[in-house]
Amino acid sequence: MANLLEVKNLRVDFHLEGRIIHAVEGVDLRLDKNETVVLAGESGSGKTITALAMTRILPPNAKVVSGEVILEGQNLMSLNEKQLSSIRGAKIAYVFQEPTSYLNPVYTIGEQIVEVMIQHQGLARKEAGIKVYELLRQVQINDPDRVFGSYPHQLSGGMNQRVFIAMSLACKPALLIADEPTTSLDVTIEAQILKLLVELKEKMNFSLLFITHNLAIAKKIAGRIYVMYRGKVVEEGPTARIFDKPEHFHTRELIAAYEKIGKL
Amino acid sequence: MILEANDISKEFKVEKGMFQSDAGRTLALDRVSFSLQEFTTLGIVGESGSGKTTLAKILLGLIPADSGEVKFNDTYIKNFRKDVQIIFQNPYNSLDPKMRIKDALYEPLVIHSMCLRQGLRDKAKGLLEAVGLDETALDRYPSQFSGGQRQRICIARALACEPKLLVLDEPISSLDLTIQAKLLDLFLQLKKRFNLTYIFISHNLAVIKYIADNVLVMQNGRVVEQGLTQEFFSNPSQQYTRQLLDAAR
Amino acid sequence: MKNNPYMLWGLVIIAFFSCVALLAPWISPLDPSLIDGQNLLMPPSARHWLGTDGLGRDLLSRMIFGARISLSVGIIAVGISIFLGLILGSLAGFYGKYVDALVMRFADIMLCFPTFFLILAIIAIVEPSIYNIMIVIGLTSWMGPARLIRAEIISLKTREFIQAEHALGASDARIIIRHLIPNAIGPVLVNATLGIAGAILLESSLSFLGLGVQPPIPSWGNILIESKSTLGIAWWITIFPGLAILVTILGFNFIAEGLKKIIG
Repeated sequence: MANLLEVKNLRVDFHLEGRIIHAVEGVDLRLDKNETVVLAGESGSGKTITALAMTRILPPNAKVVSGEVILEGQNLMSLNEKQLSSIRGAKIAYVFQEPTSYLNPVYTIGEQIVEVMIQHQGLARKEAGIKVYELLRQVQINDPDRVFGSYPHQLSGGMNQRVFIAMSLACKPALLIADEPTTSLDVTIEAQILKLLVELKEKMNFSLLFITHNLAIAKKIAGRIYVMYRGKVVEEGPTARIFDKPEHFHTRELIAAYEKIGKL
Repeated sequence: MILEANDISKEFKVEKGMFQSDAGRTLALDRVSFSLQEFTTLGIVGESGSGKTTLAKILLGLIPADSGEVKFNDTYIKNFRKDVQIIFQNPYNSLDPKMRIKDALYEPLVIHSMCLRQGLRDKAKGLLEAVGLDETALDRYPSQFSGGQRQRICIARALACEPKLLVLDEPISSLDLTIQAKLLDLFLQLKKRFNLTYIFISHNLAVIKYIADNVLVMQNGRVVEQGLTQEFFSNPSQQYTRQLLDAAR
Repeated sequence: MKNNPYMLWGLVIIAFFSCVALLAPWISPLDPSLIDGQNLLMPPSARHWLGTDGLGRDLLSRMIFGARISLSVGIIAVGISIFLGLILGSLAGFYGKYVDALVMRFADIMLCFPTFFLILAIIAIVEPSIYNIMIVIGLTSWMGPARLIRAEIISLKTREFIQAEHALGASDARIIIRHLIPNAIGPVLVNATLGIAGAILLESSLSFLGLGVQPPIPSWGNILIESKSTLGIAWWITIFPGLAILVTILGFNFIAEGLKKIIG
């Protein structure tokens, strides 16, 4: 399978009150086309920063110290801000945990997605509107009219997450990075969203990097798992092998927790 | 029987617009009834909007029910504010940020006159040890602890009252899985050691299976099903319950 | 402290004036009420560093004792307003409904009056004296702190740690005094600091109009009474008290800025 993404020796430091914290210490990742990979780790492991650092969406006190992020042969670290902004959303898209905080509360759903399409694909407003309806249907929203004209606070968490996914896929990215997208959702909705992501991935041909601390999700959807602990990747392998023969102690901890309370 | 809830109902008014006109009512709880045996753990399962947190607050007397009553067995529950305690979901908001841990632990001891001034620090030390923290925590502030540690401190604080009943409202849901597992084992251990009765609220069925003796399922403010944990997981009778189980598997 | 220059300079200024006020009897070169008929309206000299006024009194000595008046009026007046404001605001915020409505409507009524004219009216009825000024300013400025603490308490009330205190059996008084007020006091402190500056200005204005501190007790404001008639011939009578008032108010404003930074 052709290589879509390769991260080599990524290092990110945080400057906090005079101290330097090494949030990400030499992380290597690899993602092929159409692969689903889980980046597993607990809070503080550096998994979210790793994902954001790929397109340099970092808070002002964080800095990418070194590393390469090669997307379809191009090193993103060598791009300037303008070039990078045309990659974000278009080639690499994100879905985060709390969709309501990432949606603009004063615009309707329809307006927001239309804006994204106009900006990235240069479509006329009317055309964009039609495409948005298609998108909403693709994320299995059965009443796109209502959702199109609603504000984020009028919709449920699950619905907002579908909308967010729709927005992220509006520009047909090659890679979708989902950071704990289902952690704050009810278990029935979580199941629906996971199913939706898997189906969309098949249909739209993108690769999925799914970040979570819950290995149960990895077992359901991932082909490979990376385990992060304290800023480093401590183990990597096919899902079956990781569950069968975990090597690193932290991986074993995660599996033990999964055995106890991650599955029925 | 340590408590009996009979037909608890609670309505919330939805206010809309600048003049707060009455836009409708939501029925948060609709005639919820159940009973709780001493020294058991009742698991309450429900998704968001099922009313489980409202129920927890009503049990603790933090908000009033509109109708129905909660009867506590007064051979067990003699001093309500001492014998019934609650652990909340958000460990980051559950401790007074301006108070040192030792002062947070002294509060219940002082409020219920459980100990002389000289003995406070030792008692607080003991409480921290019971939850797996050491005495260096006493002089620190909540901001210096992780979510899991803060939750342990909240547990220590609740234990200070020597309660009979502990209501746990999604106490581990916001924490990482490995920490969740550790805290669950701590809950089991404390229950045995201090002869506690638990009401454990969670949306995670695997957690409920691990810790609860009996299960109660709520949906939209109503009780959908109740029963023994084993039967519940192997042979659910209601469709909603089956849906939940399927989604989780 | 080094990161907070406002706080630093504010404290330096106020510490300076506070020392002057506290040590007045010992550092004052001459008796402030000593009349010297031979040295009327003398410009600053070796004997009279800041010159003399229309009665030959040493201006420096009068300014030093004036500092006592200004600072004590400021602090005590604000102390009264904070005391009242905290009590009323806490009750309004904590109990809500009728208590809240009552207190807030009362505050609204008081706020309808232009404070300065209200104070003038009251002083015209009671006799002007330093104590009356402190009380009147205190009684007419409680509304600001009350609203601030009420707003903070309303938002803090719903936080889990307050509910936990209820569950632990803490009395309402305990919750308000030990938990709500300490967490809510931030904005009130900033308001109080600015309030002191305002009270000092108010006292100076009232004294300047002859309705505040009465001669022969020196106050920066009543020293300025003479400046009206001596503006062209004795600049020191206008400049020095004016500067003192300006710098003191500036000092308190700096402290308020410094506090805002600390509270964040």
